[in-house]
Amino acid sequence: MVNLGDQHNEETLTIIENFIPKIKHCLHNTDYQEREDLEQEIKLKIIEKLATVRFQDAPSFWDFFS
Amino acid sequence: MEKDNQKIEDFFYRNNEQVNNPIIKSFLSDSQNLYLVQKAILYPTDINKKLVDESFQSHYINVRKTKYVSNLIYFFSLDFDKKRRRLQNRSLLILDKGLSEKDGKTAIEGIEDASNETELDNIVGEGLLDNIEDEQLLKSLQKLTVKQLQILEMIYVKELSIKEIAQTLQTTPQNISNLHRKALNKLNNTLRKKGE
Repeated sequence: MVNLGDQHNEETLTIIENFIPKIKHCLHNTDYQEREDLEQEIKLKIIEKLATVRFQDAPSFWDFFS
Repeated sequence: MEKDNQKIEDFFYRNNEQVNNPIIKSFLSDSQNLYLVQKAILYPTDINKKLVDESFQSHYINVRKTKYVSNLIYFFSLDFDKKRRRLQNRSLLILDKGLSEKDGKTAIEGIEDASNETELDNIVGEGLLDNIEDEQLLKSLQKLTVKQLQILEMIYVKELSIKEIAQTLQTTPQNISNLHRKALNKLNNTLRKKGE
């Protein structure tokens, strides 16, 4: 259980790190006083969503080929 | 070996459309995935096919996650700003009404009056020499010519631009800037001598 959690955390962390340029870009959607807050909120939201949303029902590779 | 290559090429040729599907394309661009697929084409056993499927499914989920997070960031930032604006409009900063019900103090009373500061300046005196606290600097300044002092005062006390000063003294901006530089050099020299 602990191992699974660790793995999940690490994965979330890499996803956030990979998305930092995109986050920085989107900070321009708000006032400059609010940007630090927004950055934190976005990261929080990503963590929350990656923990709760289930990404399943991937199709089989061979479904694409007849 | 050549027959193998032929077989793989045949497979991709036959399924050209699917191979150009973005998700399949990105999956096959990884050399390890491509190797697994080739193996499964040559030896279509259940195990080989299953290996491809597992790899593909994790790739697929990763792509979906990336897409999801990307959208999440974008739309969340928009929503965040909308929410912020709404809150801001709801609670405007009102200066001339009581801060709380009990006392009649208003926010505007807490704001310092900037014009007070200029009044204080008037008491001390507006000139450059009036505002110097350092004795050595004062002595050095007194050694400058009247014109140099005038220029320094206009630049640092009245905060005029070089152009404006040139206009009031009826000379060129270059001249002002020269005199300014000379004055600073002279100050620098006299201060250094005293320091030694």
